[in-house]
Amino acid sequence: MKKGYNIRSSFFILFLTSIILTGSHVPALAHKVMIFAWIEGDTVFTESKFSGGKKAINAPVVIFDKDGKKLLEGKTDNKGEFSFKIPKLTDLRIVLNAAMGHKAEWTVPESEIREAGNIVEKKSARASGSIAIGLSKEEVKKIVEDSLDKKLRPIVRMMTESKNKGPSLTEIIGGIGYIFGLMGVALYFKNREKKH
Amino acid sequence: MKSSKYSWFFLFTGEKMHISEGVLSAPVLVTGAALAVTGISVGLKKMDYEKIPEAAVLSAAFFVASLIHVPIGPSSVHLILNGINGLLLGWLCFPSILVALALQAILFQFGGITVLGVNTVTMALPAVIGYYVFGRLIKGKNRLLSLAAAFACGFFSVLLSGILVAVALLSTGESFISAAKLILLAHVPVMIIEGIITLFCVTFLKKVKPELLGGVYEKGL
Repeated sequence: MKKGYNIRSSFFILFLTSIILTGSHVPALAHKVMIFAWIEGDTVFTESKFSGGKKAINAPVVIFDKDGKKLLEGKTDNKGEFSFKIPKLTDLRIVLNAAMGHKAEWTVPESEIREAGNIVEKKSARASGSIAIGLSKEEVKKIVEDSLDKKLRPIVRMMTESKNKGPSLTEIIGGIGYIFGLMGVALYFKNREKKH
Repeated sequence: MKSSKYSWFFLFTGEKMHISEGVLSAPVLVTGAALAVTGISVGLKKMDYEKIPEAAVLSAAFFVASLIHVPIGPSSVHLILNGINGLLLGWLCFPSILVALALQAILFQFGGITVLGVNTVTMALPAVIGYYVFGRLIKGKNRLLSLAAAFACGFFSVLLSGILVAVALLSTGESFISAAKLILLAHVPVMIIEGIITLFCVTFLKKVKPELLGGVYEKGL
């Protein structure tokens, strides 16, 4: 009887340890889904994934304008990407709808589209207008902005990802602290009730 | 909802058992909140001096459990521990789970403040049901039956939660069958693991502190 108890309790400890171990090496918050978008020329590119790093494949993406009118919709490809031509000069609200209450959203503001649009317009005006000798101010500007876009894209991505980091140890311990603080408050009031 | 003037994005996130902000329609949110308030008031009425620390410990366990992930398919699911919460606390699991969910919403952005009511109901209601259905069996003398009931309590609490989430998602136009299928399939490993955890907890408590299981039951009814 005594032996059986020992074996069982050691199983219990083993089991708890295994839970803690499996829990600790899995990336935290792997079940969140996110989408982010950037503009290149007249096209908006989006990328969707779960925060564990897995791509959100075949998930429907819907684009709304400022007033919530649906502009277009599509599906992410097998890399979790989806791109579309800018349909309208407005704030574009890009919504990713995965199943089971998963939802992620990203808004591309009008100002940014206008900026990107300006560059395209100026470029075409220039091209049809005259024979350029050397580089004009606009062309230099465009080249700089293009390469900046390209160079900054990974940084933008990094920023998005860091915004989606899992809870830190401080937050976890803080939460537990709150719970026990509340316990103290509840006990205090119950205790006063008892006395009166 | 969070938005910032300076960042050019606006982000919503979601996870599985916790329904995220902006998914459900207002009537569902209000219904959920009303049900949650009812459950919480029943729970608070049943709360006595000795039960407070126990509720706090289980609330903390629930709060941390969502960080333990079970990788599955393209995503991963996390532990819920509502079965053991309900089993030990009865109706008190409503306030206990509410506190944990509120902190998860504030600190981890799991779920959200407006969906707090719905999320509390989807997780606490199955726990209370588990308490009434399996509590007596678990307390009983029959060892095998008691262990089986403990496993079933952990298992069915998660199952029922999944079904309730699917019901709540009905209003989004998602078909019940497909939503329920996805949620339940993803949570089968969690159901099994939680069944085992509940089983171990019950075995442990029966040895070390049987009054924890028995006492609740007498007071709860």
